[in-house]
Amino acid sequence: MALARDAYRKLEEIVGKEHVTDDPAFLDSYAFQWLAELVRPKQSHFMPRPVAVVMPASTEEVQAVVKLCNEYGVKAKPISTGWYHWAAPLKEEDDTIQIDLRRMNRILEIDEKNMFAVVEPYVICAQLQAEVMKLGYNINIIGAGSSTSIVASACAYAGPGPSTFWMGNNSDNVLGMEWVTPTGEIIRTGSLGSGSGWFCSEGPGPSVRGICRGALGSRGAMGVYTKCAIKLIHWPGPPELEPQGTLPGYRLPIPDNFRVYTIAVPDWDTWADIYYEIYDNEIGYIFHRQFNLAGADLAPALWLTYIDPDKTLGDIEELLEKPEIKELTEEMRISFQLILAGRSMRDIELQDKILDRILEETGGWKVKRFCEQDMAEFTNMYLQRMGHKHMNFVWVGGYLGSWMQSGTPDWVKGYVPIAIKGLERDAASGKLVQCGGDALMGCGSQLGGGGMTGLEQFVSYDPADPESVAAGTQHMVDAVKDAVSNGFPPGKELLYLQVGQKDEEIWETLEKSAQPMVYHFQRKIKEAFDPNNIGDRMYSILPEEKG
Amino acid sequence: MALEDYRADALRCTRCAYCKWIPLDLVKSWRFSKGCPSIEYNHFHSYSAGGRLVTALSLMEGRSQITAPVVDSVFKCQMCGNCDVACKLCRYDMEPLEALHELRFKLVEEGHVLSRHEQAINSLEKLGNMLNKHRAKRGQWAEGLSAKDLTKERAEVLFHAGCRLSYDSDLSQVARISLEILGGAGVDFGIMGEGESCCGGRAYHMGYRQQYLKAAERNIKAWAEAGVRTVITPCADCYHTFKRLYPKAGSQVEVLHMVEFVDRLIQQGKLKFGKKVPMKVTYHDPCHLGRQGEPYVPWEGKEKKIFGQAVVYEPRRPRYNGARGVYQPPRNILGSIPGLELVEMERVKEAAWCCGAGGGVREAYPEFSAWTAGERMEEAASTGAEAIVSACPWCERNFLDATEQGGPKMQVLDLMELVQQAL
Amino acid sequence: MDSAKEQLISLVGQENVQDAHKSLEAYAMDQSFAPEMKPRLVVRPKSVQEVQALVRWANDTRTPLIPVSSGSPHFHGDTVPGVPGAVMVELFLMNRILNIDRRNKMAVIEPGVTFEQLQPELAEEGLRVNMPLLPRRNKSVIASLLERQPTTVPRYDYSLTEPLRNCGVVWGNGEITYTGEAGNMPLSLEEQWNKGVFQVDPKGPAQTDFFRLLTGAQGSMGIAVWASIKCELLPGARKLFFVPAERLEELVDFSYRVQRLRLGDEVMLLNRSLFAKMLAAAGEPSGLSEEGLPPWVMIIGVAGRAHFPEERVEVQEKDIDDVAKQFNLTLQTEIGGISGERVLEIILNPCSEPYWKQKHKGAFQDIFFLTTLDKIPQYIEVVNKTAGEIGYPSSQIGIYIQPQHQGVSHHCEFNLPFDPQDTEEKERVKEMYFRASEELIERGAYFSRPYGIWADMVYRRDASSAAALRKVKSIFDPRGVMNPGKLCF
Repeated sequence: MALARDAYRKLEEIVGKEHVTDDPAFLDSYAFQWLAELVRPKQSHFMPRPVAVVMPASTEEVQAVVKLCNEYGVKAKPISTGWYHWAAPLKEEDDTIQIDLRRMNRILEIDEKNMFAVVEPYVICAQLQAEVMKLGYNINIIGAGSSTSIVASACAYAGPGPSTFWMGNNSDNVLGMEWVTPTGEIIRTGSLGSGSGWFCSEGPGPSVRGICRGALGSRGAMGVYTKCAIKLIHWPGPPELEPQGTLPGYRLPIPDNFRVYTIAVPDWDTWADIYYEIYDNEIGYIFHRQFNLAGADLAPALWLTYIDPDKTLGDIEELLEKPEIKELTEEMRISFQLILAGRSMRDIELQDKILDRILEETGGWKVKRFCEQDMAEFTNMYLQRMGHKHMNFVWVGGYLGSWMQSGTPDWVKGYVPIAIKGLERDAASGKLVQCGGDALMGCGSQLGGGGMTGLEQFVSYDPADPESVAAGTQHMVDAVKDAVSNGFPPGKELLYLQVGQKDEEIWETLEKSAQPMVYHFQRKIKEAFDPNNIGDRMYSILPEEKG
Repeated sequence: MALEDYRADALRCTRCAYCKWIPLDLVKSWRFSKGCPSIEYNHFHSYSAGGRLVTALSLMEGRSQITAPVVDSVFKCQMCGNCDVACKLCRYDMEPLEALHELRFKLVEEGHVLSRHEQAINSLEKLGNMLNKHRAKRGQWAEGLSAKDLTKERAEVLFHAGCRLSYDSDLSQVARISLEILGGAGVDFGIMGEGESCCGGRAYHMGYRQQYLKAAERNIKAWAEAGVRTVITPCADCYHTFKRLYPKAGSQVEVLHMVEFVDRLIQQGKLKFGKKVPMKVTYHDPCHLGRQGEPYVPWEGKEKKIFGQAVVYEPRRPRYNGARGVYQPPRNILGSIPGLELVEMERVKEAAWCCGAGGGVREAYPEFSAWTAGERMEEAASTGAEAIVSACPWCERNFLDATEQGGPKMQVLDLMELVQQAL
Repeated sequence: MDSAKEQLISLVGQENVQDAHKSLEAYAMDQSFAPEMKPRLVVRPKSVQEVQALVRWANDTRTPLIPVSSGSPHFHGDTVPGVPGAVMVELFLMNRILNIDRRNKMAVIEPGVTFEQLQPELAEEGLRVNMPLLPRRNKSVIASLLERQPTTVPRYDYSLTEPLRNCGVVWGNGEITYTGEAGNMPLSLEEQWNKGVFQVDPKGPAQTDFFRLLTGAQGSMGIAVWASIKCELLPGARKLFFVPAERLEELVDFSYRVQRLRLGDEVMLLNRSLFAKMLAAAGEPSGLSEEGLPPWVMIIGVAGRAHFPEERVEVQEKDIDDVAKQFNLTLQTEIGGISGERVLEIILNPCSEPYWKQKHKGAFQDIFFLTTLDKIPQYIEVVNKTAGEIGYPSSQIGIYIQPQHQGVSHHCEFNLPFDPQDTEEKERVKEMYFRASEELIERGAYFSRPYGIWADMVYRRDASSAAALRKVKSIFDPRGVMNPGKLCF
């Protein structure tokens, strides 16, 4: 359905004619989302079209748009850097206005002394990192990389990244938030609401931020976050990153007080042991299992190809035949990346010593080839700036993440063999990229200070090939079964699948959850804060009569 | 080629939005992190490469029609190629810039054209240039200079001035200086003067495939008749057209930009700078010399899959990703000029922000063109440089206009002018 | 017999219901200025089931409940009934340490567990929990964490709620849920431990941080019946340094830098008065005379854990020293005749009885809030000025500054001791408390834990948060039985 003309005119009045559109092709550019083809009827790459796209420039404009949505009974769906199919409207039958926050892109404040920055939704991690590095600070960049919105991860989605072990999850790092609720009111959380500034996310009394986000945020379904403050972390490196070399594999020279390692272990038990040792020993400015995303069978060959500007993917097969590459592939089959940063030279030397002791005791080792200058500098560039995250899509464009259940290393290692076997099985037909069953990637810790990790299986499919897409969808269904039948909760793939499910299917799953009460509570919160139901079902609820 | 050939690209776009930014590794500030002028100015996702791929898909699937907004989104783009570089940072299977060209070809073929573009194309067809200038005046820039006339004589080296330098009196000294350098180097070369024709590149970028081809065929024939084996030009747009587009139309000549030629002379010790040029300058990499100035590699092949679904090409497909653009030669020249200090902007080489002139934008969207140039001038001014130097008269024209329209007051120079000052 | 009493006896057993005058009087007032209000009864449940039964009963009978897990004395007024007819729910009998897991550095405890009880048990496993400064012996760990009492090692505050992780909660409507990771699994802690799940992730379940709705709630949302807490390794080496200064301003930038570099474990800034009281309460003579103590001291405890503990201490000491030199400050291992080791011993343990702040004059009132360090000097001026106007000697005011959240926020506390028998002095302190609090909040002090009169001051200024919290409360405690009259409820 189209938006009522007077509503459209009112949108034009709010933001200016040039910042609203209902042109079908323009609307399609918002309906088109990665992963849609896995769950939509006929493998359509398009989610439902919004009825209009509007671009506000200020909190006041956002409020006005949200109020209009209430008035006209249309859904409001904010998007900033927007990735994942759930960023789009969800249901054909719900008229939805997509609120594109692109114009709200300013860094409002950097408080050097008190170590936080205040940003609008379209400030991306790369921008803020570059600005705060000039001042000797850094930020936690989430796993999805530096093209992502800080406000989105901190307020409305998840928040862990390779730097979380040292720098905290963005759920830890978010301070005051400015929230336009679904009725168009403003709630400022923590110290901000008291007029005391941005520095504290808690309180007053019970923390209002508790209803803003939990393990996940509301994913655009409970109003719009228009500003937030994010904690900064000391950066003992140079004020500007100076990448060297030729694309694509830019390299970042490693300062004397940094170390960049790829560490390998012989088995998954040792993997867990070494993670615990790293947690206990508190070393690891960046701690992440990154390179295996390409698949353990192919990863070393891929990365060595990637850093050579004259090579393409077509060179990998040949490289894989080489004995030294075969050896390397086995050597780093179970490996991860660790970057140490010393606040002083004596500090980094001690950290190095501690790491050597950990390796000695656990039986892990530094992977020599990947610790050589070229690969180490590439690793440094990759993980400091997280600017290559669309390597997730390198094979053929489609990637879905399955598994990724979060838990202690001991718990996570329990699902690793299941995940590996599952991918091997599902890729056997050749309809998914056959990269070996271990294409598992994940943060060393999803919480500041350690304690929790998770591994996401990178399953690559061709979005242009219906059979490959079908294999991707089937893999997700299989992964849920594999998890549940082995006593694990379903992983990330269930969230993807749910976008294509009917409400009743989703409710059935929520009813079977450990605590359906959670979703009844959220229903009541929704009734209280979104009485006109302008937020979509990305904020999960159970109807009163269910569960 | 047809738009349908890029259906897979559209389907394989993951909406990662890298096409909106410079390669993220290279970001040094909030202000100069942006890579795509189109989306920065127009904001809707359809103004990005990824968004245009969706437009293409939407049209192909009959989900939408070509409307005025669609036309606007397709043409309000300088075709600068930043998106292509950024996308290809992690993708070997995507050709966003090619797809964007194909989308324009479709629109033009179906009659969705802009009047200002139509005017330029008419000018091309009737007058041999896209500036609506008299053909007869084209060779006037070379008056008083001696050079073979290759409409009558033969030489292996052709100096091609290009439309902008031929007709723009603020800039034509660059052509004259280039001629002197060539003469001084003892090269047996010629020009075509009034007989020179537009390279047609602009027509290509505007979406006029046939009209471009006609211009190309005309030039290729004229060169063959004159025995030309090497074309040298000081215009980055012509350079790109001759080097990257003409081979598909049958050209086999070597193509050099003046900066490559001068750099070669310096490396061979045949050109020495005797005078100091005490200036602080910053260098703007023209899109068509820089990231789009990579060597042409002929290719015909097909997609094949390995490891089940990973896309590769048989034979290996050339990887136009900005890695091998002409970045170093101009910097070598600048580095050789005594007394000259080069301060780099944040967005350089493959990440250079477009001057704003290309893709038909200067012709059809002058405000957007000027805004883009203004942004670049601000970036140049932020280095503290006295002058912005480039190697493309279209860039220089846009920068000059920006200084006159309220932009930072800096000198705008072509690299050849500095070379002359140092000789 | 009172029918309520009968009913309660049937729930928790006769020996666990009290209506003796003394027992009720003990809760009618506390050490704060909260107005007196006697509860009706005191009950002591022994199990989660009993707690739930109590809450259900309270809903059925519309009886206010006030949970208490720390022994007296209480200081903030949150345990004094705000309305008549309330029943105190003492959680002291629920005092088991349910699990300690060294590998995951997690402990699960019941509400009656105190720091004094917990720390030695953790130490046996080579662990320790980040603790506030000198909690009283009968201070409940869960109560302390739920009330977001500042802990002394800011380096471990990845968030302000650390080290609290998951909770088992009986909400005010009688429903039981597990918060965080624990809420995603079969709801039996033993089953979870057997599966290798240790209630580590505080977030969720789903899109709500339920535990955050319980923190700072003064028992007005529900009753925590267990909590998981993150522990740290017990250090293998420790040292403590003093950095003296004439004025706080001399320490500000240094303190920021220390926090930024994540140096040190225990880090705090104390004025002479507060430091002296702390030492005096621990029986140190230097505390009694204040002689030799500088006007300000920053205390930096340095610890080394896991591999190479001594070297970690050595490296940190040198690094801190390098930083100190940049600010023309010196590290000392002794001050005013007292050694770092001794002070370490003091601050690593709960205090002995009576509560250390009571030792000086018998009673006290604290004014505390969160702020950024750079604003604290101005707040000190405000408090001193107010003291001057009221005639309360500013030399008596103890100031405790505790960096939090890795230096992003700071707990700022003014301790105002008085003789409870001296009516005039008491009145002056009361006036100080009221007036200074108003002045401070006007100038941006963030009363994140709004006890007593602060509640009205805070929620008047932040009406939208108050409205949001009331909505939350109406869901968790629709009948308003949990500690009514507190916060904005």
